[in-house]
Amino acid sequence: MSEFWIVLLSVSAGTVLMSVLSCLPGLHVYNLMGALVLGILALDGTSFAIPAMVYLPAFTGMIVSWAILNTIPAVLLGTPDESALFTVMPGQKYLMAGRGFEGTMITAVGGLAGAFFIVCVMAPLAPRYLPVAQQVLKGHMHWVLWIIITFMLMSEWPKGGNRGPAGWAKFFDAWKTLIAGVITFLLAGLLGFIILTRSPVSHVVAFQNIMPAFVGLFAIPWCLLNIISAASVPPQHTTTSLGINGDVVLRSVWSGALGGGIAAYFPIVTGGVGGMLAGHATAQRDERIFIMGQGVSKFIYYVGAFMLMFVPGLHLTRGGGAWMTKTLFTPLGWADYYLVIGCIAIAAAISYLMMEPLAKVTLKFINRFNYRHVSSVALAIILLMVLGVTGWVGMFIATVATGIGLLPVLFGSRRLNCLGILLLPIACNMSGFGETITGWLGLT
Amino acid sequence: MKGFTHFMSGVAVASFGPWAIEAAMQGNPLFFVLGGACGILPDTIDFKFYRFFYHHDVYVTPDPINPDPQFVADEIARAVAIAVDEKRYVDVKLVSIRLGADFWQQYSVKLDNEKGEVLVKFGPVVNTGQVPVEGTENRYPAIGRAPLKTKVIQTYDARLKVDIFDGPSIGLKPLDNGDLDLEFLPWHREWSHSLTIGAILGVLVGAVAWLASGWTMAWQCFVTIAACYGVHVVEDQLGHMGSNIFYPLTKLRTPGLQWMHSGDGLPNFLTIWIGCLLIFWNLYRYQPDMTFHFGFMHLMWVGLIAPGLLFAAIRWVLTRGQNVAVVKGDGVDDEWNEMKASGA
Repeated sequence: MSEFWIVLLSVSAGTVLMSVLSCLPGLHVYNLMGALVLGILALDGTSFAIPAMVYLPAFTGMIVSWAILNTIPAVLLGTPDESALFTVMPGQKYLMAGRGFEGTMITAVGGLAGAFFIVCVMAPLAPRYLPVAQQVLKGHMHWVLWIIITFMLMSEWPKGGNRGPAGWAKFFDAWKTLIAGVITFLLAGLLGFIILTRSPVSHVVAFQNIMPAFVGLFAIPWCLLNIISAASVPPQHTTTSLGINGDVVLRSVWSGALGGGIAAYFPIVTGGVGGMLAGHATAQRDERIFIMGQGVSKFIYYVGAFMLMFVPGLHLTRGGGAWMTKTLFTPLGWADYYLVIGCIAIAAAISYLMMEPLAKVTLKFINRFNYRHVSSVALAIILLMVLGVTGWVGMFIATVATGIGLLPVLFGSRRLNCLGILLLPIACNMSGFGETITGWLGLT
Repeated sequence: MKGFTHFMSGVAVASFGPWAIEAAMQGNPLFFVLGGACGILPDTIDFKFYRFFYHHDVYVTPDPINPDPQFVADEIARAVAIAVDEKRYVDVKLVSIRLGADFWQQYSVKLDNEKGEVLVKFGPVVNTGQVPVEGTENRYPAIGRAPLKTKVIQTYDARLKVDIFDGPSIGLKPLDNGDLDLEFLPWHREWSHSLTIGAILGVLVGAVAWLASGWTMAWQCFVTIAACYGVHVVEDQLGHMGSNIFYPLTKLRTPGLQWMHSGDGLPNFLTIWIGCLLIFWNLYRYQPDMTFHFGFMHLMWVGLIAPGLLFAAIRWVLTRGQNVAVVKGDGVDDEWNEMKASGA
């Protein structure tokens, strides 16, 4: 079989497989990639060794399809990973209005627009300009993290203090949510220090050591909230038009590319932060633009970060997908770059086509069963996933993380503060005083 | 402008200090963090501290069980009467109506000087994202009306809309001709939005830095804080409301240049983007051993002008002949709404 067909089949298989698996709540593409990397490493040197020509397109397809289709569990089942955090609230508004299909498809259009941006804008320009940017910015990553932390904590709006006469009582009522936000950030940061310094998760699944914490911080609290609040989802209907035009798409790309680009390029700045920046940077009030912008941001965060590893003259490793692939493969030049760009284009097209039938199947499932039961099943799948991948230690971490993740739910503060789990320890490490803190904590 | 815009402007201004870049290259993010924090600080002071201690003479608190527009209209008319009769400044608070964890009853107030009355209309129930809940638009068709004792002049063209979280405040200031001047959010952009306060803050922090690390650190902190705080005041002056620029030397807000609304997408994005380019330029200038070299104009061409032209061209191609309708903020009260919506 010629290389062309091998690549085409691999990317198609990876995309279709991950498209279906993306609908499972709690499963992250990096969980599956981690398992596959372990398998490929085990087969290496044997007669069953898998060549890069097979797994590289497949990995690209998996990441692309995940970046587009993880909207389905996030919006329709209420089990977001952190990159989809900002699509959940507006997405669930669509769901509660019987327009869940529309909400997910608008995000998917954002993903497709992100693919166009990567293939048509980023890909030709990146080899020329990103190495320059990297040379200028390489010594400044740490303070970028610190200013993101500063903005995250300073920009939260006090939810209380809306009634009563002026004075300290009103002030304290308002600051309850802000204090809860700061405490959430610090507790998540503490958990991050522990997990990143002395992870109790077995080294055999070291790729997944942060997974139970992320599931606990973001996905489980949503499930619990859906179960407890017992929201009844109205009958869902599909539509043939999404009510969008070129201007809406362009504005979404404009906002999403900025947020997603920052998240893809700067280490530890995740898709959730990218989504926040995308929302703040462009002051968009139109909900369609916001949702689609989140789709763009999410796509550029996952796929753009993976692509950076292949940019000639740059070879920047960003994101879990790139780090795992790097253990198997070192990109050599333009051929690998073009291969990945081509795979991104093909995978984005297939993923978008997969979105409609998979969203409709999920909606049928929601229409047929009580949403509380749907959330219960989603929660069960998530817990089984954590248990299967990381064992009881992972379950313990997920339980602790869930406790922290419930704080924003209980106090009405921002869920994004949970990202302290990565931002705080990594920012401290990059500024050179991480070890001092882990020393205080007795971790080193 | 939006909080993030002010924040990034502060970081951009901080990057002009060679000491900030030098410290950052040694792993110390202090000056950039100070820059961003001081860039957003004037709004933080107002929205997170001062407004909770600001006393109002009249609190208009509608009943959430039985919302009555006439009650709201009567209360506002009463506040106007107090200002006229007692010839004093009257602060009025329009309290929001919370209906549930995520639902709020929206209502709006219009002052009609031609007919000499205030009109109050209850709108739809909205969620915390300020999106109307379907089927609630016409639950309260009645309009509350009450006669006003005098004209209320709105130099700041705010539509008084109350929905999520906290409701807005208005100040009624007697004028010499007997009319009242309406000040929107009287506690906002008052003393906090002044260049002098920025300088004083710089001196205070500089004094602490002097005690801790000596003179060099002191003046570097002072310059960073005063400049980054000041850029917020300057940016706000491009809008409608203006700021009390030299408090305590000046007592009133100086009206803004009215070039933009604070929630406008393009000016906010352009400010952030240009700020990012300036930061990049400043980092480049102090980067040793660069193998790539470029000039400022080249950077602006590649980073701003060429992408801008490309964007405009694509937009023209995609939208020609179309009537593009995009939801925007509600005019000049959008800073209040934007702050609430974006910080949620």
